[in-house]
Amino acid sequence: MPRYIVRRILGAIPILFGLSIALFLFLHLLPGDPATAILGQHATPQLIAQVRANLGLDEPLYLQYLGYLGRLLHGDLGASFVDSRTVVSEFATKFPATIELTVGALIFAIGLGIPLGRLAGRHPNGWLDGVLTVVSLFGISVPIFVLGYAMVYLFGVELHWLPAVGQADPRLGVPTVTHFAIIDAALTGRPVAVVDALAHLILPSIALGTIPFAIITRITRAAVIDVANEDYVRTARAKGLTEQRVDRRHIMRNAWLPVTTIIGLEVGGLLAGAVITETVFAWNGVGSWVVSAVENHDYIVVQSLVLIFAVIFLSVNLIVDIGYAYLNPRIRYA
Amino acid sequence: MALLEIEGLVVRFRTHEGTIHAVNGVSFQVDEGETLGLVGESGCGKSVTSLALMRLLPSPAGHVEGGRVRLDGTELLDLTEAEMRDLRGRELAMIFQDPMTSLNPVLTIAEQMVETIRAHTQMTAEQATARAVELLGMVGIPRPETRLKAFPHEFSGGMRQRVMIAMALALHPRLLIADEPTTALDVTIQAQVLELLRALTADSGTAVILITHDLGVVAGMTRRINVMYAGYIVETAPTAELFAHPAHPYTVGLLHSIPRLDAVEGEPLIPIEGTPPDQRRAPVGCPFAPRCAWRLAACWSTNPPLEPLVTGMPVVLTGDRATHRIACLNPPTPEEAAAGLPLREGFVAAPAPGSVVDELAIAEVPA
Amino acid sequence: MAAPSIAVTPPVSQRASRGLWRDAGRRLLRNGPALIGLTCILVFVLGAILAPVLSSYDPSLGQLADARQTPSLTHLMGTDLLGRDEFARVLYGARLSLQLGTISVVFGLAFGIVIGAAAGGLGGKVDGVLMRIVDVLLAVPGILLAIGIVAWLGRGQIQIMLAVGVSYTPIFARLLRGSLLALREADFVLAGRSIGASRLRILVRHMLPNALTPLIVQATLALATAIIDVAGLGFLGLGPGDPRVAEWGEMLTDSARFLQYAPYLIFFPAAAIVISAIGFNLVGDGLREALDPRLRR
Repeated sequence: MPRYIVRRILGAIPILFGLSIALFLFLHLLPGDPATAILGQHATPQLIAQVRANLGLDEPLYLQYLGYLGRLLHGDLGASFVDSRTVVSEFATKFPATIELTVGALIFAIGLGIPLGRLAGRHPNGWLDGVLTVVSLFGISVPIFVLGYAMVYLFGVELHWLPAVGQADPRLGVPTVTHFAIIDAALTGRPVAVVDALAHLILPSIALGTIPFAIITRITRAAVIDVANEDYVRTARAKGLTEQRVDRRHIMRNAWLPVTTIIGLEVGGLLAGAVITETVFAWNGVGSWVVSAVENHDYIVVQSLVLIFAVIFLSVNLIVDIGYAYLNPRIRYA
Repeated sequence: MALLEIEGLVVRFRTHEGTIHAVNGVSFQVDEGETLGLVGESGCGKSVTSLALMRLLPSPAGHVEGGRVRLDGTELLDLTEAEMRDLRGRELAMIFQDPMTSLNPVLTIAEQMVETIRAHTQMTAEQATARAVELLGMVGIPRPETRLKAFPHEFSGGMRQRVMIAMALALHPRLLIADEPTTALDVTIQAQVLELLRALTADSGTAVILITHDLGVVAGMTRRINVMYAGYIVETAPTAELFAHPAHPYTVGLLHSIPRLDAVEGEPLIPIEGTPPDQRRAPVGCPFAPRCAWRLAACWSTNPPLEPLVTGMPVVLTGDRATHRIACLNPPTPEEAAAGLPLREGFVAAPAPGSVVDELAIAEVPA
Repeated sequence: MAAPSIAVTPPVSQRASRGLWRDAGRRLLRNGPALIGLTCILVFVLGAILAPVLSSYDPSLGQLADARQTPSLTHLMGTDLLGRDEFARVLYGARLSLQLGTISVVFGLAFGIVIGAAAGGLGGKVDGVLMRIVDVLLAVPGILLAIGIVAWLGRGQIQIMLAVGVSYTPIFARLLRGSLLALREADFVLAGRSIGASRLRILVRHMLPNALTPLIVQATLALATAIIDVAGLGFLGLGPGDPRVAEWGEMLTDSARFLQYAPYLIFFPAAAIVISAIGFNLVGDGLREALDPRLRR
């Protein structure tokens, strides 16, 4: 098992290298001169010369790449040309919001998706299965922004049940400490603030989590059906084990395998979907930051953010792969 | 009273495409400690019969639609699921054909054996584990203490089947059903596993129903054999008697389909004509009629019951002296059985009612 | 007079691949949900093609005086904030979505097939390098890759199609490569080689038909996602950027502020996106079942 882990980590390194090369070229293959492109409207001859010096744009390409790599390894991700704040510091303030959103969506997708998929798998072609199939179809056919607005309209505008914008109600005056709305609210010791933060999380989590929910439900259902037909389930029954035991240890333990793989992939979808969700619900997270950076032609920020997203996604996949190897002894020694 | 008594068992599968008549009225008995062979080709109903008596038919399609199954006098078909579960593993055990897929790939051997033991006894985990080690040693697995912690995919096919046998015999069941236990194994391993099965069940006095399509497997292992075809038992006899004096045309055909070392060189094999029956229609007449070289016109419309070859003696259902019975209206004579073909002068198998012989496409060619 | 002689009719052959398609077509048409999907797609495509016939309005012209009218007989779906007829905009938006979506998938298929065929067909080092490149593409999740490419290339229709196409390339490449690798070892391929069929013949007549079917299914499902992704880019303000052209995603962004007062401006383009996506998803699922050779009678 430890050898498997090491091998997986080593396997990720070439991908990171390839990514860094691609992102490096991204900056240097922009139409026109990189310095002008980065500075955009701020371009003056002195600033251009300064940027060229900072980025070493007059040096041969491979030296520039090494410089870039060096900066990356030192944790220097550049700075925004819009407000001159470093990517790293800005990221620290915005990432917590994205984490809250992603975790909320995951809880929704997994917490609802797996139990429902399991039930549907145990009673295939029943009424629950039928309902779930239709819901899943809509789940993958309705884009996040459509679902988001639909929910905002229904629950926010018409019914006034749930808040539609932002992470928390600014009127509550919760001071920003960790940038996690829920933690900050908890730190004030006022239950009203915590409830408010949680309420603001509900609609965006559902909007973001619906597609993964639909997919996880379908995969779980299919996995349960497939496994229930396997020979070893018949053996387990022939040994006189209770139905509960058969279900838990024999069916679900094996059905988890494809589900785990999908969850890993869906986290990527969540990261990407956060971009749209934060725009719809006006959350100040990394997703909406990417969009504004692209609109402002803030290329260095875009370059660094894409790198960060990719690293996060690769790490999550690594963890999921290791978890999978723990669950599936057959591949541990492969 | 025999250990297991089955009377008139009928099993059907209800599917979208229609009803499959898998078992059509099977009756037999098994004594305490007796080994019975259930022989027939794929689809003849032998596996379904055993699944039915264990009440493990695939649901919702499979249904027992008639008959009685009694274990030691208890009517199994009337028991609740909980009562049946209590019997499974403890009194009734079953091992299956493919050891590769019959063991849970994500649990260790220890976990799978211990859970069986603890499901039916009050043993602690340590006691159950010790018993598991004992059992693995009994089936010939080297270094059982270490092998316990391994996963199924780390064992070879033969080893896995031994593990299955160990699990099945763990609680000293009265009856073990072995469904094609060696079909998926190499020939040399087959012999080892069969010998193990024979030795263990003889020691513990467990009755065995050995299901297979391979006559060679039952020859050395069983006391009696039931030959099944299309959901019926067509012949039953003690093993030696069956091989020496096969009486049903199907059995005769089976024995003549096997190439033999002592056959005269150049003598052709005599295959059984035709194809297996379509079990989506309830059978009319003798199910073997379309393929039988001895058929009479009556065979197309009358399904003969299982009856003794030699009448006038009391019918014995189990043991070495069991009565040789067949279900046939026109059984082959001993000479015909030895030859594999009808030898009577001018005898032609009766054609199907209303059929036309049409074997070659004839094309006109200009002269 | 002709003497009857016995001739042996030649075995029925050559019907394999065409039979699979005809079989699949028949099964697809018997699949209820797939038919619903086909209807949705038909509505969508016909709407796009017949846009000038179905609506007499110009989707890019409007008078402020007519702005934000609720749906009525003169304006079936109302008018937007600039007074343009919403129905016309939805229809012409269908045109754009159809074009952008289809061509994106075509790009993705083209790149994917080239990479996948090279990797699966040539194997070895080529396979290793190509798959690493695919892994790098896969490291950037979903729409983020498309956003990155649009950031790089700028806004515009071709840029969008390339961006979305590239984000689908990995999955097509992997699918084809996987199929080819599995098929190389397949028994029927070995049988073909054993009777002396050339490698090209085997590739074309035996391997490709089998390898292409999962691609076709995936491409259909990808059409659903492509429509959504293109609209998503438009929603984020990264759409074609041509104010004369109606794009569903941009229509949603523009109308977002009026959610309370003019919900129909969001409802109609949203419904259009959802219906098209449902259509392609249902047909894709139906195709997957219909083309499964294990279910052939």
